[in-house]
Amino acid sequence: MSKTLSLLIFLGMTAFFACFFAYPIWAALESAFRGPDHQFTLEYVSEVFLNELYRDGLWNSFIIAVWTTLGALCLALPLAVCYVRFAFPGRALMNSLVLIPMILPPFVGAIGIKAMLGQAGALNSLLIYLGMMDAMHPTDWLGQHRMLGIIIMEVLHLYPIIYLNAAAALSNLDPALEEAAANMGCNAWSRFWRVTLPLIMPGIFAGGTIVFVWSFTEMGVPLLFDYDRVTAVQIFRSINDLSGNPFPYALVAVMLVFSTLFYLTGKLFFGSANSGGGGRATTGRETIPLPSGLGWVCTAFFAGVTFLAVLPHLGVVLLSVSKDWYGTVIPHALTLEHYRNALGHELTLSSIANSLKYSTLAMLVALVLGIGVAYVSVRTRIWGRQILDAMAMLPLAVPGIVLAFGYLAMTREGQPFHWLMLGEDPLLLLVIAYAVRRLPYVVRSAAAGFQQVSPTLEEAAQNLGARPEKALWRITLPLVAPNLVAGALLAFSFAMLEVSDSMILAQQATYFPITKAIYSLVLSLGSGPNLASALGVWAMIFLAVTILGAGVILGKKLGALFRG
Amino acid sequence: MVTITIQELTKRFSGSVVLSSVNLQIESGELFFLLGPSGCGKTTLLRHIAGFYTPDAGKIWFDDEDVTRLPAHKRGTGMMFQSYALWPHLNVAQNVAFGLEERKRPRREIEHRVSEALEQVKLDGLGSRKIQQLSGGQQQRVALARALVIRPKCLLLDEPLSNLDAKLRLEMRTEIRHIVKQHGLTAIYVTHDRDEALSMADRMAIMDAGKLIQVGAAPEIYLNPATRMVAEFIGETNFVEGRTLRESSRAGFYDVETPFGVLRGRTNDATWQPASGQPVMMSVRPEALTFGSVLDSPNRILGRIIDTTYLGASVQYLIQVTGGPQIKVCETNPQDIRLPGEEEVRVMAAMGDVVILRK
Repeated sequence: MSKTLSLLIFLGMTAFFACFFAYPIWAALESAFRGPDHQFTLEYVSEVFLNELYRDGLWNSFIIAVWTTLGALCLALPLAVCYVRFAFPGRALMNSLVLIPMILPPFVGAIGIKAMLGQAGALNSLLIYLGMMDAMHPTDWLGQHRMLGIIIMEVLHLYPIIYLNAAAALSNLDPALEEAAANMGCNAWSRFWRVTLPLIMPGIFAGGTIVFVWSFTEMGVPLLFDYDRVTAVQIFRSINDLSGNPFPYALVAVMLVFSTLFYLTGKLFFGSANSGGGGRATTGRETIPLPSGLGWVCTAFFAGVTFLAVLPHLGVVLLSVSKDWYGTVIPHALTLEHYRNALGHELTLSSIANSLKYSTLAMLVALVLGIGVAYVSVRTRIWGRQILDAMAMLPLAVPGIVLAFGYLAMTREGQPFHWLMLGEDPLLLLVIAYAVRRLPYVVRSAAAGFQQVSPTLEEAAQNLGARPEKALWRITLPLVAPNLVAGALLAFSFAMLEVSDSMILAQQATYFPITKAIYSLVLSLGSGPNLASALGVWAMIFLAVTILGAGVILGKKLGALFRG
Repeated sequence: MVTITIQELTKRFSGSVVLSSVNLQIESGELFFLLGPSGCGKTTLLRHIAGFYTPDAGKIWFDDEDVTRLPAHKRGTGMMFQSYALWPHLNVAQNVAFGLEERKRPRREIEHRVSEALEQVKLDGLGSRKIQQLSGGQQQRVALARALVIRPKCLLLDEPLSNLDAKLRLEMRTEIRHIVKQHGLTAIYVTHDRDEALSMADRMAIMDAGKLIQVGAAPEIYLNPATRMVAEFIGETNFVEGRTLRESSRAGFYDVETPFGVLRGRTNDATWQPASGQPVMMSVRPEALTFGSVLDSPNRILGRIIDTTYLGASVQYLIQVTGGPQIKVCETNPQDIRLPGEEEVRVMAAMGDVVILRK
């Protein structure tokens, strides 16, 4: 490819990032720190800390994030160790099964959890049936422990991220490092703590950070649990009086600062401590065959975790086909009525159409940008290409809610990007927001593709007379096509179920995407939750099919997309 | 220091045999080499001694103690890994101190012994360095110090020099042998580099396809290889096929008929007397062949030079034997260099340098 073209792509990317990533963050921060007479002020931010309600929200978000991360770690680390170390029945299958929860939208699962843990839910009914609970005084699990419900839901949704990172770190570890410790007289237990764990810490940290920031800023789950005492929901609630109110922006600013701080502290302690230096692995890691009893325990462990994680979504499926589910372990009577009604409901059809439209466009934008960034960073030697690559990965670390507010701030009346609003239609904003948020997945899968395809293939085409652009088009692109398709599918399906941007940027019912439609259906009375479940099941089927497709195309490399 | 005894050791990996009934005794204080081509089972044998593998059959003894089922961390061996296996999250001193900490030695003693060990491998003052800041040669020394500092029952070295450049490799050979002898250590050294084995070993075992082929001191193996494989692996050689004619007029020497004349040589095993008419194989090393005259030897080979390779210290010739195979001849400290040509040349070999092997 010619130097000019590379440079053009580089400049284009940088401009896009400046406008739609850096600038919105700046705009959100600006609104938080600028007083009525355009001076710098700390008043709003300090007000956040003085206001008990906001302080409480921040503290609760922090607690949720801490417990979610710890919970996910406790679940994922033993799983990863079992998978990498031991041979047990159904090992390969189990490895894929435990990843399923990641692709199930947690805020849809929350509907299921409510149905099961509610006062007249499945769990209480079971306990009453077993005579372990007084039917007159059922425990209100979620009433008193909504935070616990949120943490459980998020742990079950996010543990695969740590699992993937830990498993990758473990299998990249030179087994000789552990053998050397054994040779020095160190037993298996102490070996794990003194050698293995410190060495895989960067991997665990990479996954842990994503989980921490994710749960710290998660909006969908607490919203469905009706839990207003976390920052993300407080921000969402104050959206209606946004125009004059600087506090949501101040909250967003505080949230961004905290996320960044957590990230940097973690990086300082665990991130850089050790990289490489272990020499090349001389012995391949062999999985240790377990005696069949223990082997099946491993299998049961994997299956149990998967079942637990899928349970809320099974609840959703049950809810979507139940006539009436109240005070029984499983619904009395089944019906497909909700699916029919869901398709007939004015909100559903339009929301499906909207989501398809937004997500398809977002996918295309992300694809074009992703190919550009990946190509420049892998194939050219332009100064700053690593910065561009790092920038494209940043949306993973920046909370979605921060970006969403940034977009709101930069399109207010009188701002240079006001035209993006298209009146009330959030089309452009949502497409840009979705595209930017999912760009990291596309960039990573495209970059992986470019790295695998040797540049000499393209050079051979040029040598035989093809112009550089033609060589790229005829040789390289077809070869990296599977990666591009997989990346695009991921971007698409995550866009379909994106929560924070959708909630904040789509304000009118006619423009609602699926997620916001589900949310407003849950809130409506009567068969609303059943309809929402039916819509949720449609969405899950959809997501499962696309992710499965991506998995088939990308093979084992699917996991690489979720590593920080 | 322990004597290591290996009895009938057998190991299969997913069906294929990687060690087959290995019997071996390594004496206390001996620097013993396991030598063989890659995949011969030498590293597998070493890892059995370290305790990383459990055999399917057979036993391993450290003196009178049966260690066959003893886990690696209780064996008290000190191993140097091919990749060094230095822990990147610990610095040099911490790496070396690890084994002593596991042995719950007092802090003061640990500090003392670590600095002593670092001094011994000439890394004094580098204790606080990170592993990544060291060169390959320095990393290798840290690995050695780490294995030595625990005063191991035996030192296990798994191709320790294979990641170093040629010059450093030569230096380290002497140094490792020196350290091992100084401590009177029983040491087992795995390598595929015959020069390393020849120059360092007290005794060595040649392995092939999971079996011990020959065990002995370097000259023994070089001069009396048990099989064609050993002869070839331990040094360059020429093979000539033939049939034994008779025992020669000189006791212990046999005349062997070849397509290009009769050669007189000795057997690789004094107890073996080949019957007349028996097909045999002869090994003649290139450096045993000379263009000059050898007194008291009937071994004359005629041919023409078809290739000449000048190596400075020596010249290698490839000779097409008239009516026979191509053979290599190596002349050290060459005075004049012969060029390939049509004229016939004569090379000779002493009777003792023609080694008759079973075919």
